[in-house]
Amino acid sequence: MGHGFKGRILKGFSRDRSGKLRASIDRDEALLLQSLAGQLIDLLQHGRAADTAIQRLFPDVYPDDEAASAEFKRLTLGGLRDRKILNAESIMSSLSAAVETGELELDGDQIQSWLRGLTDIRLTLADRLGIVSDDQEPLDGEPMQGLYDWLGFLQNSLVEALDSSPRGRQ
Amino acid sequence: MTKTEEEIEQREETALDQPWVTIVHNDPVNLMSYVSYVFRSYFGYPPAEAERLMLQVHLTGRAVVATGPREEMEAHAEAMHDFGLWATVSRAGF
Repeated sequence: MGHGFKGRILKGFSRDRSGKLRASIDRDEALLLQSLAGQLIDLLQHGRAADTAIQRLFPDVYPDDEAASAEFKRLTLGGLRDRKILNAESIMSSLSAAVETGELELDGDQIQSWLRGLTDIRLTLADRLGIVSDDQEPLDGEPMQGLYDWLGFLQNSLVEALDSSPRGRQ
Repeated sequence: MTKTEEEIEQREETALDQPWVTIVHNDPVNLMSYVSYVFRSYFGYPPAEAERLMLQVHLTGRAVVATGPREEMEAHAEAMHDFGLWATVSRAGF
């Protein structure tokens, strides 16, 4: 597992009294996140089974039983993929307003989509960066590494903002 | 029924009765805070237990997060895959 990173641009999420999470986000960041969510949708729709990112997003549930894993996938993969696509679409639509206003606002359902969708984007980036162990040195100077770290900061900020509520999960 | 057949049948019954487990495996991507959050929000574990299981995953590479009938354990694994956690299902004791 990784640890959270301190972001440079986006200050992170805070929780308002209605339970929504808010963050200031500039236009470039919002467009970048939209693009990443769009790329995830493309991967989910068109990715090949041999792609290691696809294998990580849809793990074998029985590592020692190929037939049982295949049967489980036959029954569940379509639904899991559809839900992952819906999460990414929710990220994209919640950013549409933020591109104009600079203010991102997430309700309960959107928060759940962001938690899962950001995770799927980070899993995919980690696969492309070749991140395979906890104690691996970051690739300094690699732009995708900076992006990956920033998304980790965002993810951690989401969880911390959720935990900041005295009532916990809404 | 010969004794051997009886023994085999008993062994099969034991195997069928044996509960199954959902296992969450460590990965280098998911944040400790997020994994702990998933264990609390999805399974309803109290914060201290969620933290203990999260640390077990982080430090030993895996933790049993649920025990019960096979279909329920598969549903839990699928839910973990929704969250992007790496989960598998096994017979208890393996």
